[in-house]
Amino acid sequence: MNTEAAAAIKHEHHDVWGGGVSPLNVSYGKMMMWYFLLSDAFSFAGLLITYGAIRFSHTDWPDPNEVFSAVPFLGHAHMPLVFVSFMTFTLIMSSVTMVRAVQEGHRMNRKGVALWLGLTILGGLTFLGSQAWEWTHLIHGGMTISSPWTQLDHHSGDVVYTAPIVFGQLFFTITGFHGFHVTTGVIINSVVFIQNLRGVYDRRGHYEMVEKVGLYWHFVDLVWVFVFLCFYLL
Amino acid sequence: MATGPLTEAEYQHHVSAVWRVTIILSIVTVVEVVGAIFYPEGAPRIILNIFFIIMSLLKAFYIVAVFMHMKYEKRALQLTVLLPTLFLVWAIIAFLWEGGAWLNLRSVWF
Repeated sequence: MNTEAAAAIKHEHHDVWGGGVSPLNVSYGKMMMWYFLLSDAFSFAGLLITYGAIRFSHTDWPDPNEVFSAVPFLGHAHMPLVFVSFMTFTLIMSSVTMVRAVQEGHRMNRKGVALWLGLTILGGLTFLGSQAWEWTHLIHGGMTISSPWTQLDHHSGDVVYTAPIVFGQLFFTITGFHGFHVTTGVIINSVVFIQNLRGVYDRRGHYEMVEKVGLYWHFVDLVWVFVFLCFYLL
Repeated sequence: MATGPLTEAEYQHHVSAVWRVTIILSIVTVVEVVGAIFYPEGAPRIILNIFFIIMSLLKAFYIVAVFMHMKYEKRALQLTVLLPTLFLVWAIIAFLWEGGAWLNLRSVWF
């Protein structure tokens, strides 16, 4: 390396880290959103690792293909994982529409942001509705935070297996904490949706708020990947 | 990623990247569910579980890298956010080990 190039690097380094500019090249708001999400990731990791530790301390654990095998409007049809796959797909698609909203925001396209953000909110509501149905179904089936899930024989209806009570407690706590995140995400997205329609971001000169709520929304999708893994697949 | 307005070419590039990742995530999810339902009854469960974990990490990578734009951020930001998550590797090993110890305690004493 010649001395000129070395000097240029040193100079650039000083410029970037010497104050007056953002070394990470993001705004304060976006940077702090990243760090908030990092801390939130640890909250969820704490819950899911607890799930793992408690599961490892039991000799028996219910089979997810048996617990989550119901689908709305299909009565007692045995269709393992079909409905939860639909929920997963809904959340992935709402993440996709969110990225599109962010991209339209970069182009200062108010109508584009309204369209894609509106679809994102619809996706979030669909997911929440599905989760409400799933919870209702499980609670009616007898699984609450104080009574265990029981597996019934498909023909006679006799109880053939009783799960540890802690399974239900972990399920409602962790999917509830995630559902709470989805709920706040839908509320925050709705606020941004209204502000966008009122032209707040056009007057402000940038659509960074869409990016920040977008990061939060993708994080909710990211967490679901691991909730899905722990409860429904493993 | 730059906060300024994108050129038309950059915009098209980002949009097509998003749809490509959408297809990848959908296929991975479908493959996982098919695996869960059709995995042979007697075959070792551990192989399927390792497959699920790898697929989930793959999905997480695409969501963070493309959807959250981490791929386009400065290296310093990438590292400050991603490196702390390595602590979780220790936490997972330690607490699963602990869970096994609880099981052992219960089987010995109760």
